[in-house]
Amino acid sequence: MSNDPFQVASDALTHSAGQISDLARPFVRFLPVSGASISTFGSFLGAETISATDARAGRVDELQFDLGEGPCWDAVLNRRPVLEPDLSAGISASWPAFLEAIQHEGIGAIFAFPLLFGPLEIGAVDLYSVAPVSLSVEQQRQTLALSAIVSRILLRNAITNDDTPGETTTFSRRLIHQATGMVLAQLGTTPEDAHLIIRARAYAENRSMLDVAQDIIERRIRFTALPESGEGTS
Amino acid sequence: MNETMRLEQLFDAFATLADTLVAGYDVLDLLQLLVENCRDLLDVDSAGILLENAAGRLEVVASTSEANTLVEMMQLDADAGPCLECFHTRAIVSVPDIDVDPSRWPDFCATALAQGIHSVYAIPLRLRETTIGTLNLMRNDRGELNQRDIRAAQALADVATIGILQERTVRDASTLRDQLQHALSSRIIIEQAKGVVAETANVSIEAAFALIREHARSNQTALRLVAQQLVTRDLRF
Repeated sequence: MSNDPFQVASDALTHSAGQISDLARPFVRFLPVSGASISTFGSFLGAETISATDARAGRVDELQFDLGEGPCWDAVLNRRPVLEPDLSAGISASWPAFLEAIQHEGIGAIFAFPLLFGPLEIGAVDLYSVAPVSLSVEQQRQTLALSAIVSRILLRNAITNDDTPGETTTFSRRLIHQATGMVLAQLGTTPEDAHLIIRARAYAENRSMLDVAQDIIERRIRFTALPESGEGTS
Repeated sequence: MNETMRLEQLFDAFATLADTLVAGYDVLDLLQLLVENCRDLLDVDSAGILLENAAGRLEVVASTSEANTLVEMMQLDADAGPCLECFHTRAIVSVPDIDVDPSRWPDFCATALAQGIHSVYAIPLRLRETTIGTLNLMRNDRGELNQRDIRAAQALADVATIGILQERTVRDASTLRDQLQHALSSRIIIEQAKGVVAETANVSIEAAFALIREHARSNQTALRLVAQQLVTRDLRF
């Protein structure tokens, strides 16, 4: 095993074996933050805090849902991280209700990273620090890399817990493979991810994968590559 | 096509098949060559091959047209149709006029007729006690396929089957089932590659396969290899 904190965190996530409630912990292992929380929301999965390292991290998450504003919303909306290294210094974002609500929580810095999978919005990672602190460019990059792993885990978990209508015939599988090829070309991704995106779409619309595959082949459904989430504004 | 030309082409087909077997080959490419030979040399409009998969079911592995409608028809045939019967009886099954008894295999017959196919022949791919799949020949006309074409088709199929079974004894490590399953698994990546090309070249799935086949042929590369490079985007059309 590596001693590099990021690698340790990354390995921990990769081998988390479906322990959804543990997904937030690896982030505090390598970042200079006090707590982390992960929530699902957006167009795809229901709004829910699924993992938090401490009660305060959980509250920060819940408040944003209750108020409908805050860094996690902006991160997903803009598809890029929100970085507020020093809340006391005044911030660029406009979350009057959220800032008022957390003013007694003793939070110095707050960050949110979007959880995206291709065109799908999965949720966000919220990070907070008691003292003001900045994330280096390298730390931002690493957080995005871990966020991508978390997105996959959440998506797979959501889909495999669901009973989407089965695809058993060899012929329907053939069409799904063809659609997978079209989607991977549309999004510039791997066959595995393209397949997952088709499954996710079928799941979200409560249709069979074959149905969605046929729409893709007949060009009634098309996925568009969205800009990758890059470095945040601070 | 006059008789001499026809014989010459048939001779070429056997020679090419033999060359392929001598030089080493990918099972999938061999079978693709076989169906194309049948379409070009025999009095048939389309041809396809089904192999038995690991689950003991017949699965389409090669066809002259990659139009999904034709493949679907053959797959229905594999569930209840002449090719399933051929596989089980290990004998040629001839259906010179589908219209005569369409209730025998209702799904298969309806799909075939909808595509203008009126007669079909299923020829077993077998060597002694082993049957690995079937070769299917389809015609738009009604009526028996002439005896000479049936014999030529069986001979082409036999050479291909002997080649496949022969290679197994050369490479003891892999069982026949593994080898055939490998050919069937290659279909996954070929289907994906068809999708990639359909998207990037903005053509139909069927036309996409023709492009892939053409590229593989002119570069003398295995279909599976070309498909692999398309899927990883190392090759772009």
